[in-house]
Amino acid sequence: MSKKENRGRSQQPSRRQVLKYSAAAALATPFISRAWANTVEINMLAWYGHGEPDMVGAFEEANNVKFKPKYYAGGDNMLGLIAQSPPGTYDIILSDGEFVQQLNAAGYIEPLDAGDYPFDDMLYEDFTKFPGHWDGDTLYSMMLRFGHLGVSYNKNAISEEEAMSYSCFWKPEIKGKVGHFDWHLPSLGMMSLYNGNGAGLWDLDDAKWEKVQETTLSLRPQVGGFFDYGGTFNSLKNGEMQAMVGIGDWITGVLEKDGAPVASVVPKEGGIQWTESYCIGKGTEKADIVKKFIQYMLSPEGQVKSAQMAAYPGFCITKGGRALLNEVDPKEAKRTGQVDGMANDPITLIKEGRIHYRDIPVQQSLEDWNDFWSEYKNA
Amino acid sequence: MSGRDALTTWVLRFYVVLVFGFIFMPIVASVIFSFNSQRFPTVPLGSFTTEWYTAILNDPDIWEAARTSILVSLSTSVLATFIGFCTAYTDYRFKFRYKYGFLALALLPPTIPLIIMALAMLAWFAKIGISGQVWSIIAAHTVLTIPFAMAIIRLRLNEMDESLEAAAWNLGASEWRAVKEVIIPFAKPAIISSMCLTAAVSFDEFAVAWFVSGLNKTIPVVILEIVTGNIDPQVNAIGSFVFLVSMTLVVLAQILFMTKGKRRTVTP
Amino acid sequence: MGTKETEKKKRGFETFAVVWRVPLIAWQTVFFLGPLLFMVAMSFFVVKNYRMREAFEFVSWAKMLGRHTFWDAYGYTLLLAVCSTVIVSLIAFPAAYALAFKTSATVRRWAIFLLVVPFFTSYLVRIFSWYVVLAESGPVNSVLGFFGLGPFTMLNTMFGTMVGYATLTLPLVVILQTVSLANIDNRFIEAAHNLGCGAFRTIHAVIVPMAKTGLVIAALFCFILSFGDFVSPYYLGGSKPPTLAILIIDTTKSGQQWPRAAVVAVMMMLTLFTVAFSSIWYAYRKRGSR
Repeated sequence: MSKKENRGRSQQPSRRQVLKYSAAAALATPFISRAWANTVEINMLAWYGHGEPDMVGAFEEANNVKFKPKYYAGGDNMLGLIAQSPPGTYDIILSDGEFVQQLNAAGYIEPLDAGDYPFDDMLYEDFTKFPGHWDGDTLYSMMLRFGHLGVSYNKNAISEEEAMSYSCFWKPEIKGKVGHFDWHLPSLGMMSLYNGNGAGLWDLDDAKWEKVQETTLSLRPQVGGFFDYGGTFNSLKNGEMQAMVGIGDWITGVLEKDGAPVASVVPKEGGIQWTESYCIGKGTEKADIVKKFIQYMLSPEGQVKSAQMAAYPGFCITKGGRALLNEVDPKEAKRTGQVDGMANDPITLIKEGRIHYRDIPVQQSLEDWNDFWSEYKNA
Repeated sequence: MSGRDALTTWVLRFYVVLVFGFIFMPIVASVIFSFNSQRFPTVPLGSFTTEWYTAILNDPDIWEAARTSILVSLSTSVLATFIGFCTAYTDYRFKFRYKYGFLALALLPPTIPLIIMALAMLAWFAKIGISGQVWSIIAAHTVLTIPFAMAIIRLRLNEMDESLEAAAWNLGASEWRAVKEVIIPFAKPAIISSMCLTAAVSFDEFAVAWFVSGLNKTIPVVILEIVTGNIDPQVNAIGSFVFLVSMTLVVLAQILFMTKGKRRTVTP
Repeated sequence: MGTKETEKKKRGFETFAVVWRVPLIAWQTVFFLGPLLFMVAMSFFVVKNYRMREAFEFVSWAKMLGRHTFWDAYGYTLLLAVCSTVIVSLIAFPAAYALAFKTSATVRRWAIFLLVVPFFTSYLVRIFSWYVVLAESGPVNSVLGFFGLGPFTMLNTMFGTMVGYATLTLPLVVILQTVSLANIDNRFIEAAHNLGCGAFRTIHAVIVPMAKTGLVIAALFCFILSFGDFVSPYYLGGSKPPTLAILIIDTTKSGQQWPRAAVVAVMMMLTLFTVAFSSIWYAYRKRGSR
């Protein structure tokens, strides 16, 4: 191209020429940069946002790779998507912590080498041996981030004191204004906590399970809708919904930054922790670069990206990540309590026993819960 | 015309305007939102911005999706129009046993909800081992658009004087030659319209593409992902952009159509 | 076929005739009948531990049809689709009437051109716009508030779903109705007027019967599209309660229950075929006597 320009008849390229070339360049840039060198494509299966430029852009550029993401919502959805694709389709899988075991049982993921990852830098010892991530001494999944679910509410409709109990969802003033994130696990988990099941929230015998269903059904008249990810955002933001069951700061945090009067708290009955972990897909030929990416995401830089992720924020799991976050974005660190010594430090909440890791039902099958969920939606 | 009639006419015309207002409200609104600075548009609107357009133009995933979309819709339009033409011609020319069954095969797809087609096709493609490829979307979209191609071309053939083809035979032309020299030239405007329409239908189809596309996303699948995922006004920007492009194509086709075949213009 | 052809020519014609049928038959068998029949078969498969196994068992049928959830969703979906058909047809008719009889051919051509325009915009994007426009803090409520009305909750209600369905179907229904009305010979209408029929009488006694086929086909399309759409009831209706299409998506998302989704799909198809065939039969009935 430069050759052509030099050959231009006049020394000064005419304005039209410049416009023409720059337009052509602008249009062609995405293609050129792609065709430039043999870019390695990495197929990623993840929750929405993990394959967006704000997360992977820098890594892509530095390593000449390109992520091709496929997004899902909810662990059941993830398992379905893997089952429908030929083996080896996904090189890297971002799984919810409680589903890693299922992935492993189905033989969808490769074992990892624990020595590759910063286990000595974890903020909390539980994270080094996270439930389900290890099979004996073999590591199968590397925890990346986590967050807490509790009462998410509109500050104009519910006071912070009221939000300290799940009972606020039954508040008469917000009839028809309570929304559900459309996935059974977090919502039913919260109902179980409200019933006082505490740490045994997933381990329900018939009587307790019956009771959870009853409690849930009693909330139905309050419910204004069931939303996917996008709908949850929108309906909280535009005030259609004043409270939302099944979510936490991962939704309201984004909205808060956008100026909406919403917040999330962990109520006195306890909250639920979501955990996201990276796995390497079985049969991938790109295990090395995927490993490098996971290492990158666990480095302080990657952890800060995760904490600031545009789609939804997650807490850092390493000390290094937290330290860097406090340095580069003290405001966000403070907003989310990721400052050592703060009362609502997520690690402190876990230590105090107020947080329960999200799990799959122990005595029922996921199907039972899901069947009840569709009945509930129909009620 | 009496005064009352004139009044009725005006009321009716006003009503038409209202109906069009309803139909165009979301389109106009989405264009407005695409220039609005707020991530979650509410009233009053935020400030003017071209941020969302910059974002999509700089996003290689969108370009990739656009390329896939163009490939899919062009291939679909050629395939569907070809098959539609064969089918329309068969219906026009021949009577045979099981003709109703044959026509049902062509015209049934629109009566089946997209979500069902999507489910069935993904399961089937996975079974025969061709799921998640660009051409699985093309295969699916061709099925969905054949009826449109067939209907447009069939309507055009209806207008043809039957003796024209017979005259060609009498002049010694073979059946093939007659099709080439008489039928295709006559049906040409319909063939062009059919290609435009099938391309457009394919370009906006998201349900089936979402299921069968695997990692090869088309533009509507990206839109669906943004709408179900992280709501983002990029959706409006993509929508407006796509709208602009496809409308340009339609208008171009329309102009070509009008200047070439002056005899008959669009329906009715 | 003409009658004058020789025997030889006829045989030639047969090869020729068959060739034109092959593309459609081949393509639709592999990519249309194949998937549909496989889906019917799939409804008898079983799923264990997220894995589907080919079988011939009635577990999914028993499970789905034995649940009131399914029948509630079925009834609700049917109700929504019928409402949408009736409402959209009624809204469209005066507009189609005006376009067919009260405007010049040029205006009509432009109108139809404009009605085609929405097909070139993403349906999803339009629904997303309604989501903002109909919100309690949205423009519609702002305008109503100006007159001291509202705010009304329009999203996550049946009203929202109907707006979505109308967005999807109204342009098509107006086009189909307009075309079928415009095809009526004006002389019949004049004759009705001359015989002293008022406007409504003319519509009732002349126009509607003569355009019956087109009107029924338009309504049928509206029904089919509404019955199977999952976007409007989900995004504008808050999937409260879910329709059959939403049920299909929910079922495939959770636990790899494709056979159950297939059961729902087969039931939907049976319903649609019944509706389609009976309305086509109705639309073309008595046509011979004309």
